[in-house]
Amino acid sequence: MANLISRAFGGLNEVRRGLATVFKHTFREPITKNYPDEMPDLAPHFRGRLALTVNPETGDHLCISCKQCERVCPDKCIEITSHKSPETNKLELIDFKIDHGLCMFCGLCTEVCPTLCIINTNDFEMADYSRESLIYDLKKLTLSQDESAFYFDRKEMPLPKPKPAKPAPAAAAGAAAKPADAKPADAKPADAKPADADAKTVEVKKPEIKDDAKPEVKTEEAKADAKPEPKAETKPEAKTDEPKADEPKA
Amino acid sequence: MFSNGDEIFKISRLTIVWLAGIFTIVWMVCWGLGIALPMLLTSQLGDKAALTNEILRAATPVIAILVFIPINAMFMVLIERRALALWTVRKGPNRVGPDGNFQTAADAVKLLLKEDITPTGADAVMHTFAPILFFAPSVFGAVPLLAAVTNNHPLFHVLNLPTGIFFVLAAGALPVVALVMAGWASNNKYSLVGGLRSAAQAISYEIPLVLSLITVCLMAGTLDLVKITEQQAGGILNWNLLGGGALTGLNNALAGGGAKALATSYFMGPISYVCAGLLVISLIISFWLYLTGACAEINRIPFDLPEAESELVSGYNTEYSGMKFAIFFLAEFTNLFVVSSITTVMFLGGGDNPIPPYILNNIPGIPQMVAAIRDSYFCSTLHIINPETFFATLWVIAKVYGLVIFAVLIRGTLPRFRIDQLMAFGWKRLIPLSLIVFIIVVFAREFVICHG
Amino acid sequence: MATEIQEIDLKTDEMIINMGPQHPATHGVLRLLLTLDGETVKHTEPVLGHLHRGQEWQGQNRTWFQYQALIDRVDYLSGMFTSWAMARACEEIDGTVVPPRAEYLRVMVSEMNRITSHLLWLGTYLIDLGAMFGFPFYPFREREKLFDLFEEIAGQRMMFNYIRIGGVVRDPKPEWLDKLKRFLDEFPDRIDEYETIVTQNPIFLKRTKDVGILTQAVAKDYGVTGPCIRSSGIPLDLRRTKPYSVYPELKFDVITFDKEGDTWDRYMARILEMRQSIEIIRQCIDKLPSGDIMGKKQMAGMRIKAGEGFSAVESPRGILGCYVISGGGEKALRFRWRNPSFCNLAILPELLKGCPLSDIMAIFGSIDVILPDVDR
Repeated sequence: MANLISRAFGGLNEVRRGLATVFKHTFREPITKNYPDEMPDLAPHFRGRLALTVNPETGDHLCISCKQCERVCPDKCIEITSHKSPETNKLELIDFKIDHGLCMFCGLCTEVCPTLCIINTNDFEMADYSRESLIYDLKKLTLSQDESAFYFDRKEMPLPKPKPAKPAPAAAAGAAAKPADAKPADAKPADAKPADADAKTVEVKKPEIKDDAKPEVKTEEAKADAKPEPKAETKPEAKTDEPKADEPKA
Repeated sequence: MFSNGDEIFKISRLTIVWLAGIFTIVWMVCWGLGIALPMLLTSQLGDKAALTNEILRAATPVIAILVFIPINAMFMVLIERRALALWTVRKGPNRVGPDGNFQTAADAVKLLLKEDITPTGADAVMHTFAPILFFAPSVFGAVPLLAAVTNNHPLFHVLNLPTGIFFVLAAGALPVVALVMAGWASNNKYSLVGGLRSAAQAISYEIPLVLSLITVCLMAGTLDLVKITEQQAGGILNWNLLGGGALTGLNNALAGGGAKALATSYFMGPISYVCAGLLVISLIISFWLYLTGACAEINRIPFDLPEAESELVSGYNTEYSGMKFAIFFLAEFTNLFVVSSITTVMFLGGGDNPIPPYILNNIPGIPQMVAAIRDSYFCSTLHIINPETFFATLWVIAKVYGLVIFAVLIRGTLPRFRIDQLMAFGWKRLIPLSLIVFIIVVFAREFVICHG
Repeated sequence: MATEIQEIDLKTDEMIINMGPQHPATHGVLRLLLTLDGETVKHTEPVLGHLHRGQEWQGQNRTWFQYQALIDRVDYLSGMFTSWAMARACEEIDGTVVPPRAEYLRVMVSEMNRITSHLLWLGTYLIDLGAMFGFPFYPFREREKLFDLFEEIAGQRMMFNYIRIGGVVRDPKPEWLDKLKRFLDEFPDRIDEYETIVTQNPIFLKRTKDVGILTQAVAKDYGVTGPCIRSSGIPLDLRRTKPYSVYPELKFDVITFDKEGDTWDRYMARILEMRQSIEIIRQCIDKLPSGDIMGKKQMAGMRIKAGEGFSAVESPRGILGCYVISGGGEKALRFRWRNPSFCNLAILPELLKGCPLSDIMAIFGSIDVILPDVDR
C-alpha cells in the first residue's frame, strides 16, 4: 500500500516535471523562420540550382565545352552542344541544357569543371508549372557578371585568367548564344540604336494612352531591351540576392 | 528570460480579441432577443406581445448556445494551435489575417466546402447520423450550465434544472453511442477498433467521473448547479475544491468572526479539524479524478485511444470528410469546453471571485466602481451590463480557458496509454480511489459544518 | 475445496488488418500483414520492397565517382555511414592511405550524423507512442542545428556526399569548429530536458517497460546489431570490438545493459549513445591534426584496383557493411550492402507475437528501422 502511494506520488511528480519543462518553453524564442519574408542564411557551399559563371572581370563565358560535367553527371541531366570553330580549331559552346527536374544536386559537375564555370548557386526556389520549364538553357543558366563575381567571392574560388586576346571572333560567333549581358560591355552603336528606337516608339505612344502606369512600363521596357538577362530570370529571390551581393563589394 | 515576449504578446492579444469578440456577439444576441426585442414589442403592442415575449425568452438561451458553440470552437482550435506552437518553440498560424487570427475561420470554410464522402459498403444512414448524435448532446448538455456560469442571470434562469448535474452527465454519456456508430458504419477495420475502444473506455471512466461529482454533490447537498455555485460564493476558501465548505469556518474567522466562528463550524474540536483536513484532501483528489475521467471521456491525450493516430490512423473518424468531419471536430472542442465548465462550476466556484469580499471591499475604488456600473444607464435601464453577471462571467471565462490551456499543455507533454493499461488504470486505480474518497467524505462531513 | 475453473475454448474470429504501406506509424512504406484476435496480434508478416530502388544495381552501372553521390540515399538518415562504409571498402582494395585529419573529420561528422539519426528516432518514437504535439519538436530543433553545420561543410543537409574514397571532400573552417563546440556545450542540457519529459514519465514507462523483450538468443539468431543488441546485453560495437579508423585512439565505452533488453532499454541505449557521441566529437576536436584531407585524387574517371573488399561501420542502426568487387575499371563489378535495418526488421514478427495492437508501434519504433535501408 505504502509502495503504491509512493509510486503514485513519484509518477505524478514526474508528470509535473515534464509539464513544467514543456511550459518553460513558453519563454524560448521560436526557431521558426518566416521563410518567404526572411531568406535563410545559406552556407556558401550550399548545393542549389546549377548555373554557369562568366569571368567577373571581363564578362567572357568560362565554359570551354570540355563536356566533363556531361560525362560525370549520374543522372545524365546535362546536355552540351558545341562545335569546332573552323578558324581557331577550338570547341565553341552553342547550347548548354540542364534539366533541373532530373538533377539531384550532388554537385559532382561542379567538382570536375576545370574552369570553375558550372557552380551551385544558393538559389533553391525553382518551383515551376511544367517540367519543360525546368530545363534551363544557356541563357537561363548563365549568370551576370555581378552574380559571378558574388559567387567567386563567396565560394572563395580563384579568379579565372583572362582569355588570350581574341575578342572579335568570339563576339561574332557567340552573337546568337552568348549571354546578352555581354553586349553592354561591347557597346556597339548598332546594337544600341534599336533600343533607342524602341524607347522612342513607347514615348510616341505615351500621349495616346493616358495611363499613369505607362512611364514605368516604358522604363522597364527600355531596360529590358538594353539588358534582357533579368527578364529571362524573373525570380524574386535572385533580385533580393543581388543587392546583398553588391553591398560587401561597395 | 523573456526572449519570447513577442510571441507571448501575440497570443495574449489573440486571446483577448477573440474572447471579447465571442462574448460581445453572444451577449448582443441574447440581449437583443431576450431584453431589447421584448421591451420594444411591449412598448409598441402592449399586452398582445406577451406570448411572443415568452417564446423569445425561451428561445434566447438556445440561440445563444448555438451562436456560441461554433465561434468558440474556432477560437479554441486557434488557441490550442498557438499555445502548442509556443511550447514547441514554433510560431503557429500567422498567415491568414493579422497574426493568423482568421486561420480557423479559413479552415472551417475549407472543411465545409470539401466533398462529403461516404465510403463504399458503409452504412450510409448511420454514417450520417453519427456526427449529429455526437454533436447534439454537447449542445443540450451545456444548457443547464448556462444559468450556473452567469450567476443565475434572469435571462437564463428558465434553463435551470433541479437535477442539473445529472442532466449534464447523462448528456455527456451519449456521444459514446455515436462513436460506436461511426466506427461501425465506416466499413473500416481501424474505425471499428476505434469505436469499440471508445465504448470500453467511456464505460470504465464514467464511473470515477460520476463518483467524483457525486462526492461534490454530497458536500453540497443538492444537484442544482445554481445552488452549488451560490454555496461556493465568497472567496477561494469556500470553493468545493478546498473541502466543499469545510474551510468556511476558517473563512468566517478570517472575515472577522474570530474564534467564535471557528468554534461554531468545527464543533467537535480536534476531530473536526482533522475531518476538515481530510475533506480538503479528498476534494482535491476528487478534482483530479474528475479531470482525469473527463480527459478520458472526451478522448484527449493521454486517453485519445479511439483516435490514436499512430495506431488506428484516425480511429472512428478515419472515413469522415467535409461537413461530417467538421461536426466531429466541432463537437470534440465543444466537449472540452463543456467539461471545463463543469469543473469550474462544480469545483472552482463558478463565477466566484477567488479573493474573498472582506478583502476586496477594503480595496479603495472597487466598491465604488461596482456601484457606478450598477447605477449607470446601461445597467439600470437597458440591462446591457449587470455587475454581478459581468464579473462572474469574467471569472468563469478565466477559469474555463485556464483549464482548456491546461488540457493543451497536457496534450503537448504526455504520451498515450495502451488500451489494457488504460482499463487497468481505470478499474484498479481510479475507481477504488474514488470510492475511498467518497466514503471518507460521507463520514467526515458529519463532523464539520459544510455547505450541505 | 478445489473447484476447477474450466477453460472454455471460445471461438473468436480473427481479423486480418493490412497495416501500411500507407499508415502514419510505419515510418515509410512498410506493409505489415497482421492477424488480430481482438486487439492481440497473432501473427505478423512484414511485406517489404515498396521502396526498392536497386541501389546495388545502380552501383554497378555508375562510375565510382558517380556512385559516391548516390549512396547517401541508401540510408538517408545516416548518409555519412553509408559513404564511409563504401569508402573504406574501396580504400581496402586500392590500398589508399587516408590522411589522419580526414580520419578524424570522418569520425566527427559520423558521430554528428549518429546524433541526428537518434534525434529523429527520438522524436518519431514519441509520436508513435502518442505524444504527438509537444515533445517531438524538441529533438528536431537540435537536429536542425546539426544540419546547418552539415550544410556548411558538405553542401547539403541530408545527402552529404562528404566522405569520399580516400578522404573527405572539404576542410572545415575554424569558425565551423567553434560553432560545433558551442552546439556540443548546450546539447547535453537539451538531452537532460528530453529525459525530464520522457524517461521517468509513468505513462512512458508503462508503455515501454517489459514490452518487446529481445532475448539474447533471438538477437543472435537473427543477426540483430546496433543499439538493439547492445541493450540486450551483448557488447557488440564495431568501434570497439573490431576497431577501425581512429576509434582506438578515442576514449569511450561500449554501452550495454546487463539484462535482456526491453523497449525502454533500447530507448535508453540511444540516449546514452548521444551523450557518448558528444564526448567522442569533443575528443576529435581536441585531437584534430593538421594536414591533408584527401588521399586520392577525385576525378570523373577514378579507378580502383582489381580486387574485392568488405568493410563494416557501426551505423546508428547497427553494423552497416559494404562488399565491393572491383575489376580495375571505372565501375564496380559487384556491390553488396549489408543493411542493419533489414536484419533488425526480421525480429519484428518474433517480438510482436501476442502483444496488443498499440504495442506494435512501441516495438516497431524501438528497433529503429529506416525503410530505404531495408529495401535499398
